[in-house]
Amino acid sequence: MKKFFREHGIWVLFATAVIAVSLSLMSFFSNTSSPLSNLAGIIASPFRSAYTAVTGWITDKQNYYQDVTALEEENAALRRENAILKAQNRLAQTNNEENARLRELLNLRPQNYDLELETASVTERTVTNWTSSLTLNIGTDHGVEVNDCVIDETYALVGVVSEVGLNWCTVLTIVDTDTSLGAQVFRTKDLGLAVGDFSLMRENRLRLDYLPADCQLLGGDLVVTSGLGGYYPSGLSVGTVEEVQLSDSGAASYAVLEPAADFDSLVEVFVIKSFDIQT
Amino acid sequence: MLARNETIFKWALYAGATAVFFLLQGAVLQRITLWGVIPFVFPILVAVLGMYEGPLPASVYALTVGVLCDLLLPASIPCFYTLIFPAAGLCAALISQSLLPAGFLCGVVTSVLSFLLTDAFHCVVLWAGGKAAWAAGAQVFLREVCVSILLVVPVVLLFSAVFRRTHLDD
Repeated sequence: MKKFFREHGIWVLFATAVIAVSLSLMSFFSNTSSPLSNLAGIIASPFRSAYTAVTGWITDKQNYYQDVTALEEENAALRRENAILKAQNRLAQTNNEENARLRELLNLRPQNYDLELETASVTERTVTNWTSSLTLNIGTDHGVEVNDCVIDETYALVGVVSEVGLNWCTVLTIVDTDTSLGAQVFRTKDLGLAVGDFSLMRENRLRLDYLPADCQLLGGDLVVTSGLGGYYPSGLSVGTVEEVQLSDSGAASYAVLEPAADFDSLVEVFVIKSFDIQT
Repeated sequence: MLARNETIFKWALYAGATAVFFLLQGAVLQRITLWGVIPFVFPILVAVLGMYEGPLPASVYALTVGVLCDLLLPASIPCFYTLIFPAAGLCAALISQSLLPAGFLCGVVTSVLSFLLTDAFHCVVLWAGGKAAWAAGAQVFLREVCVSILLVVPVVLLFSAVFRRTHLDD
């Protein structure tokens, strides 16, 4: 060992240090991804798409032969749910019209909720056991930027773009340890910080920290993005409260959230490129 | 001592073998979840080559694989694998030189050590970011080793074939 370090070790250490510092600097000074990462991503993109196409084909074949009885039962349940939602929708429309008339009478600013969306396909899911990420098939050529939010078709927050190349981008899901965003409990309007936690990430859960001391959360409470600071749009559903636990110190409590988005079944998602929200 | 063209040939074969395992990881392994974890072949590649080739080539090879992993995989810090894989490769080389002869047993021992170093570094990075998760990290390490350790067999077979093919006189 001594011989190795005397003869070559210093050069290996030097090379490691130089490359590590270069990668860190390129990552730090880049708004999208480092040139090398971008190139690696562009080269890997066709392979990712090909693998995903093959996997998708196999899954389709599996689903085709799924139990028909279970599908019929699900269909009946969905029809019932659809009827209830239609009734609720009619009521909501009436309420909306009434709300608009009252706003006009009171000279209030009209509400606005505009999101500029870009459709993307998931080409790769979590690739290591220490992160929770997705790779999408769009990048800077579609106007995607780092920190753009990604949602599914039900407007549930999936994650945030962490790195973007020419025709690809990496999204860290909301359960990843590097993700944190302002959140609000829909029922109580209490504010908190939704953050990824490695212990919970394994179970596809995240935690809601910095809750007020008098916060009275119930299981099933909906948590949405707060939109404070203007970085992310408000009102996107993050998840529901599963349980409230005491922190290790016992001084504060935090809520364990079940994400609204199902990361395992995502095929198509939407990147929010810009938003204009007025409430 | 190999001639220059033989050395180039040997490393071209190693590069080809590595490319095969990169494709295997991307196409198959990272789409499979067993016991809650994805099989991960890269620490095994680094360990097994270190076992055959000695400290210097092992460190340089591990550095290269580390850079490629950093470019392709998301991690908490941009140079995560660049920093830890050379250490794993070096440890594997030193073990095979002084403790265990190169082979399947040595491959298993060095691979477990390689996983231990990589996962311990993950835990350290999480701890440094104020999100310590030692128990969950240890659990992931155990599961990762159990799920991935069988990959030592194809890696040892392929890398030993390259080693024997290019060291006929040894």
